[in-house]
Amino acid sequence: MTHHTVHQGADERFNPIAGILAYLLPGLGHWYLGEARRGLLIGAGVLWLFLGGALIGGIDSIDRVEDKWWFVGQAGVGPIAFATDMIHQSQFKLVDPASGRPKTPPPGPDARASKSIGHANEIGSLFGAIAGMLNIMCVIDALWRPRIDRRARVVRGGGAL
Amino acid sequence: MPGLLAYTPFLDPMPMLGGMWWLTLAPLALGIAVVYKAIKLDDMRRYTAQVAMMTMQIIAVMVALAVGIQLVVGWIVPMLGG
Repeated sequence: MTHHTVHQGADERFNPIAGILAYLLPGLGHWYLGEARRGLLIGAGVLWLFLGGALIGGIDSIDRVEDKWWFVGQAGVGPIAFATDMIHQSQFKLVDPASGRPKTPPPGPDARASKSIGHANEIGSLFGAIAGMLNIMCVIDALWRPRIDRRARVVRGGGAL
Repeated sequence: MPGLLAYTPFLDPMPMLGGMWWLTLAPLALGIAVVYKAIKLDDMRRYTAQVAMMTMQIIAVMVALAVGIQLVVGWIVPMLGG
C-alpha cells in the first residue's frame, strides 16, 4: 500500500486531454496529470525503442506503404512515427514507373538510404512496433489515471509484475 | 571494415548485426521494462530495482524458450524420426 496525492473527486475520472497529449508525445499525458517523472520515463522508454528500431533497421524499417502491418504497430508512437514515415516516403523513395507507387530504389547513385532486409529489418520493425503498442498502453493509462494534486491524499494498492 | 564506410546511422540498416542479432534482446527487454514499470508501479522508489528485475526475467524466459525449442528441434524430433 502506498500513498498518492490526487485531486479530490477527480480520481479514476476519464481524462481525454491526457489521452490526446499522451498520443501526441509519449509521456506528455502523464506529465499533464502531474506525474513528471513517470512521463519522462515513459517518453524515454518509448523513444528508446522507436529510435533503437530506426538505428538497427534504418529508416526503411518504418514504412507505411511497403510494411503496412508493421506500421500499424509503429503508428502507436504517434505523430513521430507518421513524420518519420512521411520523410521516408518523400525523401528516400522514387516513384516506381510500373506501379506508380513510391519504392526504395536499388543500390546506386539514386539511392539515398539502403533497403533494409533480413534480421536488421525484422528487428528494427519489431522495436518500432513494440514501442507503438507500449505507448497505446500508456495512452489508455493516462485516460483513466487520477490527476495528482498536493491538496488531497488517497490510498491506492501497490503492484508489481 | 569496408561495410562501415558507407553506413549512415538511422538511414542505413546496422551493418554489423550479422550473427550477433540476438544481442538486441537486451535493449528490447530494457525498453519494455522501463515503460511497463513506469505505468504499473504506484511506488516509484522501487522503480530501478523492478526494471532491472523485469529485464532479467524477460531475458531469462527468452533464453529458456530458445533452449527448449532447440531441445525439441535438435534432439526430440530427430529421435521421433528414427
